[in-house]
Amino acid sequence: MDAASPTCLEIRGTWKIFGTKAERALELAAAGRSRVEILEATGCTIGVRDVSFDVARGETFVVMGLSGSGKSTLIRCIAQLTKVTEGVVRLDGQDLTAMNEDQLREVRRQKLSMVFQHFGLLPHRRVIDNVAYGLEVQGMAKAERHAAAKQVLEVVGLDGWGDHYPQQLSGGMQQRVGLARALAVDPEVLFFDEPFSALDPLIRRDMQDELMSLQQDMHRTIVFITHDFAEAIKLGDRIAVMKDGAVDQIGTAAELITSPATDYVKEFTKDVPKAKVLRARDVMHPANGAATSGSVHGDELIERILPTLLIDPTPVTVVDGAGTPIGIVDRAAVAAVLEA
Amino acid sequence: MTTESPPLTSGIDATQIKKYVPLGILVVGVVLLQLVYGSSVGFPARLDTLFSGPVDSMGEWIRDNRRSHALFTGFFNPLTDTIDWAITSLESLLLWLPWYVVLAVAFYLPFRTGSWKQGAIAAGVLLYTGLIGLWAPTMETLSLMFTAVFISVIIGVPLGIFGARRPRVERIMRPILDAMQTVPAFVYFLPLLGFFGVGAVNATVATVIFALPPVVRLTTLGIRQVPEQTIEASRVYGATKWQTTLKVEIPMALPTILTGLTQTIMLALGIVVLAALIGAGGLGENVFQSLSQRRTGRGIAAGLAIVAVAMVLERVWRSFATLDPSKRAPQRIRRAGLVAIGGATVVGRALGAVEFPKVWRLSAFDPIDNVVTWARDNLSWITRPFNDFFVGEIIVPVRRFLTDDLAWPVLIFVTAWLFWRVKGWRSAIFGAMAVATIGLIGMWELSINTLVQVMAATVISVAIAIPIGVWAGRKPRVEAALGPILDALQTVPSLVYIIPVVILFTVGVVPGLIASVLYAIVPGIRITALGIRQVPEESVEASRTFGATPRQTLVGVRVPLAAPTIMAAINQVIMMVLAMVIIAGFVGGGGLGFETIRALTRSLFGLGFEVGLALVLMAMILDRYTQAWGERLQPPPGA
Ligand SMILES: Nc1ncnc2c1ncn2[C@@H]1O[C@H](COP(=O)(O)OP(=O)(O)OP(=O)(O)O)[C@@H](O)[C@H]1O
Ligand SMILES: [Mg+2]
Repeated sequence: MDAASPTCLEIRGTWKIFGTKAERALELAAAGRSRVEILEATGCTIGVRDVSFDVARGETFVVMGLSGSGKSTLIRCIAQLTKVTEGVVRLDGQDLTAMNEDQLREVRRQKLSMVFQHFGLLPHRRVIDNVAYGLEVQGMAKAERHAAAKQVLEVVGLDGWGDHYPQQLSGGMQQRVGLARALAVDPEVLFFDEPFSALDPLIRRDMQDELMSLQQDMHRTIVFITHDFAEAIKLGDRIAVMKDGAVDQIGTAAELITSPATDYVKEFTKDVPKAKVLRARDVMHPANGAATSGSVHGDELIERILPTLLIDPTPVTVVDGAGTPIGIVDRAAVAAVLEA
Repeated sequence: MTTESPPLTSGIDATQIKKYVPLGILVVGVVLLQLVYGSSVGFPARLDTLFSGPVDSMGEWIRDNRRSHALFTGFFNPLTDTIDWAITSLESLLLWLPWYVVLAVAFYLPFRTGSWKQGAIAAGVLLYTGLIGLWAPTMETLSLMFTAVFISVIIGVPLGIFGARRPRVERIMRPILDAMQTVPAFVYFLPLLGFFGVGAVNATVATVIFALPPVVRLTTLGIRQVPEQTIEASRVYGATKWQTTLKVEIPMALPTILTGLTQTIMLALGIVVLAALIGAGGLGENVFQSLSQRRTGRGIAAGLAIVAVAMVLERVWRSFATLDPSKRAPQRIRRAGLVAIGGATVVGRALGAVEFPKVWRLSAFDPIDNVVTWARDNLSWITRPFNDFFVGEIIVPVRRFLTDDLAWPVLIFVTAWLFWRVKGWRSAIFGAMAVATIGLIGMWELSINTLVQVMAATVISVAIAIPIGVWAGRKPRVEAALGPILDALQTVPSLVYIIPVVILFTVGVVPGLIASVLYAIVPGIRITALGIRQVPEESVEASRTFGATPRQTLVGVRVPLAAPTIMAAINQVIMMVLAMVIIAGFVGGGGLGFETIRALTRSLFGLGFEVGLALVLMAMILDRYTQAWGERLQPPPGA
């Protein structure tokens, strides 16, 4: 309906409560009770607690948090795999929570796909039939969907593996099959629930790089879940940090690092090699008339400015693409973020 | 859960006394009841006509209305005809095909899905049945069992799926399924006589009722075990419920469903022999003939043919469900196979080379009889005194004590007390009502008779099975060596090995008990071994590091940790014993078994109903009690 609008997904005041006394749990939550208190009083677990955010079209939005923080529940709420207890989820302006099963099925077939941590492949089907699954349930003819699946297999680098069975492939390759299955339906929104957590580190990095390069070409809207902050920084345009079902903070990697909203967020950002993540514009402050020497581009990594500042304590001017000064960076500012 | 609450005023004395309260209740209750009711022997009130009267008249009504009433002309008769048509067409087809074509098909089906070994086994065991001259009855039995399994699948799989989707349905279904299986199968024959008449259809329906539960249960289990993610993956791509069920759930549950099917076939196998009782024909008739003629060899030959049928069926059914498509034989070869089979059929029919050539006869097995006869003549110095002692000194006195000396309320009270101790007062009420009902329908003495036999066989079986099971659980080599013996004991239809025992001990209680023990120790050993093996190695090693001797480790760690499983083993033993003791009615075991057969052979519906009800109640009492005990032995949940 509204495919041109810059906002793709809108999540508004979404709650998910597991248990039979959801109403009572909501009341208690409104009264400010904690998750544990509510569990004790009602036996209900709060999966997602009053979450709101927008995801822009073509954005990679990462949700991160520790195990049990409600990430999967949130993504399942968005994809309507589970009914939200309260709140609204809009995709292209359409409220998914108000749809019936038939309408939802149509939306899913046309717009959604998902990649799972443990792949969720069908062991009794060949790779090609796994990839074609989404097209098959839409009723596409066999020859056609196989042709489409073959193309996607090429894209993910699994040329010629179509006739194998998933369990004959390595974990990394299996997840490529999962990715291919998601891409085969040409979705508008891709959900990833910790897709690379089950892979070993080197393969994980490969897959991340691959996803990034794919995304550069396809510009899909992606909601990506991870518990690995490094992965979040690498992939995410913006990151939401979840704790106990609620979102503690939403922002770019730099925002989370330079101004963490809570200790929980700070805990995540602590070990990040900040000089490799933050850029000049993230640490600059307005020019205060002090003398400066030289200038750097706002997108320059701190890592690159550091040597200059170490040799010469004079602040450096930060400029934008057009060369206009937009602020200055000095030793104190850099030191402050590096030690935080 | 116990009903006791911790005492408010504690003190060592109070708690010490409290420990003896239940025992005190038992003693006082028994003594009081015995004093008050001691003079009344047997169960006083006999309300048997309360049930049997109406049941008998219903039987008559059915007999009179079979040909006229809409219930029959519109439902049961067409159903009977359909099942009958299925069985006879399959049988005619199998006999119309040249025998080597049947063998080829038995080979081809498993081969097609990539397992030529299984194909060779299927064809090989079928060849055996032909060689001993049992081709025709084998085809008859094969058709009956195939039809029964087929019906079980088309009913059981959907029910199982339904149960997996609706936990509430499953909760209602589970006790019904349990009950269907606890009752010895041929109890179903009699009530079914009214609706399906005598013959193969009745046997098929009884088989379906008895053999259905594993398919349902394991389908539910299999569907539940499909990973949530896989189902969500299907949903998120917009699959309908049906698409998910057909394309994801059923295929992924297939291995588990097949396990259920194997169990179903094994259960069906047990009924095939008994089906001969109601004129179903086939191999069961051969076994019965051998039993009545005391021909052990032929009985074994026919029994093995029944096992062969089960083996073929299992492989054929498995071949319909291709588990690993990557192993499938190449299409070229599969086509060639089909062409060859078709060609052989045409040529064979044209040449008239259809019937299995007469190679051997059943008499090939007669030498076995000589061994048994020799044993009977030369071992009577052991068997006779054993028989006399066992019956005269144990079975009969215990039975007398329970029926003649003990006042009937005492038994009800003791049952209630036992249930109360393991599971609380609700269960106690169930136990008391169940026992009282048995008395009310006039089955008191007969049930006690059967109960004593069950107890005797259970005690012996447990005494044999648990030590062997513990041993096998600790020594994989022992278990491997026992495997084939146990398999044989459990797969060969039980009546088959009653034959030599009857010859050795003559008819009476003892042959039935021995057969029961042989039959029941198998699950006893298997499950006990499983329980011992499942004890975490860490716990065992922890015990060793403290310097425990192997014996201490066994008694202090392995056995307690395996206790719930061992209790499950005992439960299985009792249920098996019960089923066998009933069957032993054929060889003079008396009790409910004999009455069942009497009711069956004379179409005494009222009696059949009472006996059946008593059996159901007894099975439920024994089953629930042992299960409750097993639950108590479980470590408390959660940490
Ligand atoms: N079906 C359910 N019924 C009851 N509680 C649930 C259910 N699913 C999830 N929960 C609870 O909701 C909370 C959030 O779970 P969720 O799976 O969303 O966490 P997560 O952040 O994805 O964790 P992980 O990193 O381990 O996947 C947990 O406390 C969990 O126990
Ligand atoms: Mg998760």
